[in-house]
Amino acid sequence: MTQTIDISSYSAITDAIRNEARRILSDSTVSAVIGYTAGRRKGSTQPIVITTADDADQLIFSAACLNDLVVYLTKAKKDVPKGGRIGIVVKGCDLKALVGLLGESQLKRENLYLIGIPCSGVLGSLLKPAAELTTETIASKCCECTDQLPVGCDFVPTVTPTPLPDLEKRYANEIARLEAMNPSERWEFWKEQFSKCIKCYACRQVCPFCFCEQCLCDRNRPQMVEQTPRPLGNTAWHLMRAMHLAGRCAGCGECERVCPMDIPLNLLNRKMAKELKELFNSEAGFEVREAGPLTSYREDDDQSFIR
Amino acid sequence: MSRIGVFICHCGENISRTVDVEQVAAQAALMPGVAFAVDYKYMCSDPGQNLVKNAITEHRLTHVVVAACSPRMHERTFRKAVEQAGLNPFLCEMANIREHCSWVHEDREEATDKAIEIVGMLVERVKKNRVLPTITVPVTKRALVIGGGIAGIQAALDIADAGHQVVLVEREPSIGGHMAQLSETFPTLDCSQCIMTPKMVDVANHPNITLHTYSEIEQVDGYIGNFQITVRKKARSVDEHKCTGCGVCMTKCPQKKIPNSFDCNLGTRTAIYVPFPQAVPNVPVIDRENCTMFKSGKCGVCQKACGPGAVDFEQQDQLIVEPVGAIVVSTGFELYRITEKTKGSPIKGYGEFGHGKIPDVIDGMTFERLASASGPTGGKIQRPSDGKEPKQVVFIQCVGSRSREKGISYCSKVCCMYTAKHTMLYHHKVHDGQAYVFFMDARVPGKSYDEFWRRAIEDEEAVYIRGMVSRLYQKGDKIVVMGSDISVGVQVEIEADLVVLATAVQPQKGADLLAQKLGISYDKYNFYSEAHAKLRPVECATAGIYLAGACQGPKDIPDTVSQASAAAAKVMTLFAKDKLEREPIVARVKESGCVGCFACKKVCAYGAIEEKEIRDRQGNLVKVVAYVNPGVCAGCGTCQATCPSKSVELDGYTDEQIVAMIEAL
Amino acid sequence: MHSEKPKHDFEPKIIAFVCTWCTYAGADLAGTSRMQYPSNVRVLKFPCTGRIDPVFILKAFQQGADGILVSGCHPGDCHYIAGNYHARRRFAVFRKLLEFIGVDLNRIQFSWVSAAEGGKWVEVVTDLTERVRAMGPMVEFKDLVLEEQWSGNLNNPELQAVYEAM
Repeated sequence: MTQTIDISSYSAITDAIRNEARRILSDSTVSAVIGYTAGRRKGSTQPIVITTADDADQLIFSAACLNDLVVYLTKAKKDVPKGGRIGIVVKGCDLKALVGLLGESQLKRENLYLIGIPCSGVLGSLLKPAAELTTETIASKCCECTDQLPVGCDFVPTVTPTPLPDLEKRYANEIARLEAMNPSERWEFWKEQFSKCIKCYACRQVCPFCFCEQCLCDRNRPQMVEQTPRPLGNTAWHLMRAMHLAGRCAGCGECERVCPMDIPLNLLNRKMAKELKELFNSEAGFEVREAGPLTSYREDDDQSFIR
Repeated sequence: MSRIGVFICHCGENISRTVDVEQVAAQAALMPGVAFAVDYKYMCSDPGQNLVKNAITEHRLTHVVVAACSPRMHERTFRKAVEQAGLNPFLCEMANIREHCSWVHEDREEATDKAIEIVGMLVERVKKNRVLPTITVPVTKRALVIGGGIAGIQAALDIADAGHQVVLVEREPSIGGHMAQLSETFPTLDCSQCIMTPKMVDVANHPNITLHTYSEIEQVDGYIGNFQITVRKKARSVDEHKCTGCGVCMTKCPQKKIPNSFDCNLGTRTAIYVPFPQAVPNVPVIDRENCTMFKSGKCGVCQKACGPGAVDFEQQDQLIVEPVGAIVVSTGFELYRITEKTKGSPIKGYGEFGHGKIPDVIDGMTFERLASASGPTGGKIQRPSDGKEPKQVVFIQCVGSRSREKGISYCSKVCCMYTAKHTMLYHHKVHDGQAYVFFMDARVPGKSYDEFWRRAIEDEEAVYIRGMVSRLYQKGDKIVVMGSDISVGVQVEIEADLVVLATAVQPQKGADLLAQKLGISYDKYNFYSEAHAKLRPVECATAGIYLAGACQGPKDIPDTVSQASAAAAKVMTLFAKDKLEREPIVARVKESGCVGCFACKKVCAYGAIEEKEIRDRQGNLVKVVAYVNPGVCAGCGTCQATCPSKSVELDGYTDEQIVAMIEAL
Repeated sequence: MHSEKPKHDFEPKIIAFVCTWCTYAGADLAGTSRMQYPSNVRVLKFPCTGRIDPVFILKAFQQGADGILVSGCHPGDCHYIAGNYHARRRFAVFRKLLEFIGVDLNRIQFSWVSAAEGGKWVEVVTDLTERVRAMGPMVEFKDLVLEEQWSGNLNNPELQAVYEAM
């Protein structure tokens, strides 16, 4: 049964963000604020960087605010003024990515002013940005969200997020479905999925953790991964992507959202997250980790798979 | 364009018996980039090596593949030969067609095919090999020795005699360590102090030795050839430069009843004290915990009595930074104390022996002090409780050692010999006394050791009982020792006047903390680990740090002195050149690709990776990247496998080389 | 003494990624002791298992490997202190990923083989070779390689249209 999700708090959040942005810009706490603004289509949104208090009223928050804005702090930072502290609007899932970047020396906390969103969920797609947020239209990542209220921000509107109704755990269910298959069935599933890939690298472009200046997959001396958009290279690319994100991906799900070919990319990331939790009790959270699960070890780690 | 030479060895018949070497040579000649391929009976022989050298000149070879035995066997041989012919040694690779092929396969066809494929892999690899120049690191020719027992003293003297500066750091107020506490030493029964104190004096007088006693290692920075050591010189409350060592302060000190740990608490000392009369340096230290001045603020008798005005109650701990190029760790051991179990000690139990409760149950070191002519009893064997001469003494061996269920599985190595010595010393001093020894078995290998042990039994009338003691208890002024004699299968009960326990040898407390500062590894008992049990027994895996004495494992004096001299020799080898040369298999960072996530730094076990700031001409920070210190890098390559963008690369094992091999398959 | 070796229809290609200090030396010992094992294995030497990148395994499969062995020093024995511990975590995760996309994990073996364990090396290599031989060729990646050359059928309608237009 489709159920509507209450997002009435989003207008109060919008007001609170505007007030806070106005305040921190006018007293020069920050030099810019990265947030969301209304797009041209009804209900749509797009990222915006504002640098004056007058522009604060352009900021909004709605169920169509899907982007993980954290990429504007690293590889897309040319749109953001240099120097000074930067304010940024983050949902819980975005914040986990930001915290990951703090742990990987890509950002410094003192250069940031974090405006956290008590999030009640966002849409799964921007194709119908004005759609109502329901148990159907809600993003898959929100269905398994445990971090509606960000922790450790400089400012969070005093709004309680709507407790999410009992939603179908789409990723968990899909992972379980695949795990129940035999290897050749799984191979067929992924072969089909990867064969769709056109190597547009939108997934890489939008990922907060794909911050390498030169991607391993673009190298040709030696060529580690075939660059053609054909099955062999596609499989290699998606495997390496999942491996490089293992233990780091915070589950913002942007890769999957931007994929023009609808490859279930976050499914791989979620599977890796599940395994890391099971193997090493490690998961991305709001606390900066000194080392990730694959840059640290314990002497008594499981080695039942080693002869 | 590569011109590769492939040299296939018959190894007598070891390879050619199962591998058709001529066919391998014929196939190799057809491989792209191969300019010359030949087989030969013994490639590692002089004519074989000359064949390689001549071919390099004659055929203008750019790379060499030697298909022969394992590279672990002859890689050095051939790289050297190639170097003599004017090629960089790292342009030579070995294809292992003996251990990995001809010796493990019988089918000639299969083995030949495999050998061709192995050669093919290495041909592709060697094309990607780069010229690697030898890496040099400057060396500070100054050594640090940690611990001033016999091991540290010997190492310091050897290095200093070779003409190098040595910094010797000792935790206690005097150097000398445990050897200064011993009475006589096995197997010659010469007086320990008579052979020890001259060495201590040598240290004090040596122009090349800087001595820091009552000091500890605070911090260790740097790497082989270039360490920076921060030494904490604890406040002695006596100015070392002013003190003449006259000792008047000690005679005036009103606190006279403090147990002297040097005498295993049998004797007493004052609050301002030197631990023993022959201490080096002969400068007292004030024990602030027991000094009336420090406790109540009133006294200062020693200060008034001190002619040169050396007593300084205001003295503070000092931090001294010492630059050194090599470190010898010789922190020694301590005996397991049943009652004062140190934190983290693995030993459980032995409460049944009543050590610490029954005053006349003592450990081996306490017996040494009883027997020592300079000890609290002047060398008379008197039991601690009432000062009577004991007529029946029971020695119990392996207390803590060789008992897996009680925590320690190793043998403490010195106890069999020192117990035999104790029985002799006792017999020499108490002619009508009887010594009994409970033992599991006598472990007395060593020059003149077995003879010594036999002498204890045959000439000096010690009674050796094979078996363990189950319990002992006080009965009147006697200690009843109940044990079993397993060689005849009977229970034994002895009414003893004194019981001496040969308790286990353990590393000094805090050995693990020091290891963590030094970045060296240690075993579960906190003994320091050598780099290789047989072939590198005095080196740590961490370059530039060497081990001497019982901190590495239980040892007697001859072994300790040998190891100390060996460690000193290693230090001298390092100091023999102005610059340290090392194999250039190290990681390098490609700064243009590095985004400074420092995953590499997190996985580097050697701390070889540092953060380096890249600035533009105006001095603005552009980015922070990783930098690998080639002096510290050990060349494992874990950083490269971890780096997401492969911006750090291990020379000699680059991705290009490895992928070339995989693609050759 | 030499019994006639059975000939098999399929001989798998086994690639072993090993560390130089333990497993490579263990394999050397197997040689010095003249132990016998199948000749299918090709050994790639690394300084440490810590250097072994998962991408090499992928690359090996793409190059037609039917079975893969990754082997190094036992925990606590690493010549480089902790390289094998890092490798253990890395491959614990990578094998889960491979399993999830449908690679049969029976084709990949991880082991600790010390320099003294020539016998264990022989066992590990023999078992893996026999297991993979029984499983047959690793067709999954080979198919991808074929498709990499040409992913369509020659008689597909699009091509047909192009031919006709010519």
